[in-house]
Amino acid sequence: MSRRSLFLVGLSHKSAPIEVRERVALSADALKAALADLKCMEGVAEALVVSTCNRVEVFVQADADEPARHFFTSRAEQARDHLYSKEGDEAVRHLFRVASSLDSMVVGEQQILGQVKEAYGLASAVDAAGGYMSRLCNRAFVTAKRVRTETDIGRGATSMSQVAVDLVAKIFGELAGRSVLLVGAGKMGALSAKALRVLGADTVLVTNRSPERGMALAAQVEGTFRPWAELDQLLVEATVVIVSTGAPTYVVTAEMVKRAMKSRRHRSLCLIDLAVPRNVDPACADLDEVYAYDVDDMQKVVSANHEARRSEAGRAEAIVEAEIMAFAQERETREALPVLAELRQRAAAIARAEAARTLQRAGAGLDERGRRSVEAMAQAIVNKLLHGPTMRLKDAAASGDNGLPGAAAALFGLEESEPTLPPRRGQGNGAAPQAAEPENAK
Amino acid sequence: MSLDLLRVAAIIYAAAAAGFLTYFARPRLTAAARIGAWLLTAAWALHVVSIGIACKEFGGLEWFSLRGGFVLMAWLVATAYLVVQRFYHLPTVGAFVTPLTLLILLPTLFGVGGAPGVAPATLRHPSLTLHIMTAASGVAIFALAFGVALMYLLQEREVKGKRFGMLFSRLPPLQSLDGLTQRLVTIGFVIFTVALLTGSLVAHTVWKSAWSWDPQQITSLVVWLLYGAMVQARHSGWHGRRYAQLTMVGFALVMISMVTLRVVPGLTMHAGTYAPPLPAELLP
Repeated sequence: MSRRSLFLVGLSHKSAPIEVRERVALSADALKAALADLKCMEGVAEALVVSTCNRVEVFVQADADEPARHFFTSRAEQARDHLYSKEGDEAVRHLFRVASSLDSMVVGEQQILGQVKEAYGLASAVDAAGGYMSRLCNRAFVTAKRVRTETDIGRGATSMSQVAVDLVAKIFGELAGRSVLLVGAGKMGALSAKALRVLGADTVLVTNRSPERGMALAAQVEGTFRPWAELDQLLVEATVVIVSTGAPTYVVTAEMVKRAMKSRRHRSLCLIDLAVPRNVDPACADLDEVYAYDVDDMQKVVSANHEARRSEAGRAEAIVEAEIMAFAQERETREALPVLAELRQRAAAIARAEAARTLQRAGAGLDERGRRSVEAMAQAIVNKLLHGPTMRLKDAAASGDNGLPGAAAALFGLEESEPTLPPRRGQGNGAAPQAAEPENAK
Repeated sequence: MSLDLLRVAAIIYAAAAAGFLTYFARPRLTAAARIGAWLLTAAWALHVVSIGIACKEFGGLEWFSLRGGFVLMAWLVATAYLVVQRFYHLPTVGAFVTPLTLLILLPTLFGVGGAPGVAPATLRHPSLTLHIMTAASGVAIFALAFGVALMYLLQEREVKGKRFGMLFSRLPPLQSLDGLTQRLVTIGFVIFTVALLTGSLVAHTVWKSAWSWDPQQITSLVVWLLYGAMVQARHSGWHGRRYAQLTMVGFALVMISMVTLRVVPGLTMHAGTYAPPLPAELLP
């Protein structure tokens, strides 16, 4: 008899260079066709393909991972060397981690969840995803939502332009009725000026030594070009000044800013210097009501936020583990393997009780996070301990062995359920997987 | 009775402060801020009931004592914050203002209400009621401005010093804090002006002279001039750190003068310490 399991075969920014990824990445329409093909393949019950610019991953509920492998090798032969594959709980964990943005290039970014949702939408639209994928994906979405709300993994800007937006927002709140000045045609400057649009600046003024490039840049950021000679006047008009020219010296000097501040009647001014070597005299930062930042300041924020996200990842992993367990539990209950369900329930209850006991005794010094980690740890221990017995019991149930579930019930002391459930269920289990129990993961 | 009620209100204020501070420490717990706001409203309501009962118990005379003044002021600070909350969505301000309310209220919880030793005839002067109401409201608004200015200075230190830590992410934008401080100072100044005018009127009838170089009059005038100058300077675009610092200085002056002038007997004739006539043997 065949036993189906969840298989994952994929490649991502971690395993494959862009040249390979772009060969296998698919548009929505091509993806629909590919999903239909996958579904038709021998031994494949359900399929899901997550395709983004950073990863292409094929999940199949099948007898083997060959169909998923074929998906890649049929498109690009060289993909073979970059593929990774996972099975069963490992594959489930991978999907949960991907959806929770734990596997992303920028850990904690928010787009991936939407992309996984889209992938599921596509798969269910062409009937490639059925009951199992639906339960799996829903659990993945729940996990991602928990990770997002219960940890700080998505907090803090991770790009220079985002840091610039955060900074300006903390000084001015919003920029309605004010203007942003972009000095020079550096790429980072244009990016930041664009990002600042979020804060509702009325106008973006652009100035550059070479008017041609300046005008092109103004068109690009939807701003207004002003000649370089007006720089002094522009410093009076603008609220936020982003400087990124190729000049080797200070373009904005402390003297210029001092004069500008007088004409501004000391309205606050934010100077963001994105150039190396620096274009804004650092002495500007000492002036009252002038907030000046350079590349290093911004980079420090970016690294600090990356660090903070990484430290949050541990807590997120604990949530993922808890959800994998919850998913397994849900599956067992539904599969009507009462001995297993009972065992798991019992174990989970013990884990909860022990965690509560420990917390009562030693939990006074812990905050909410600490308490949750203790609970997650207790659950994880139980999860790992029961992994082996669970596998054996499932194998036994799948092969119609009535003895092992009963023995397990006796061994683990599940007496109250013994007289009614194991013998009767044992027979049922013998038949069920052969009939139609595709969810019977290994 | 009124004191018991006030103590209960103080406990609820403390719970509200805990809610706001929890939100401040863990911004993801937005529920904490909501609960804090609800508790603050509840405490505020209980507080006003307590004030009403005290009016009955002491015939409305206790507001003329220092303790009564504090009770009233704490309530007005809470009122001012609840009003501000309607117009600005700045729940982090609650983390600063609610503890301040509690701090003002705390010393009054251990005193007993009662009338100051003032002749009741004096107290019936209508401008005196207006004087006390406006003085307490003005100072309460200055207290709120003090809290917001403190937040401004903390945030300014973060932003200017490039320390983008916990405070940076939790405190509101500088511009919002600056604008709120200025608005509060202006409103407080207008109300305080009325308090000064009515005060002079009372002094004129009671002391027979509108100005008699009483220390209370002098400090009040200094505070009034300070805030007046700040309101004026605002029109010339002056704002920022020094504005916030002076806002705090003004309120500190008010508090110091309120307390020291009462604690040291005979320093001021203001608000009743003058009332019990000196024993005959001490008179020259």
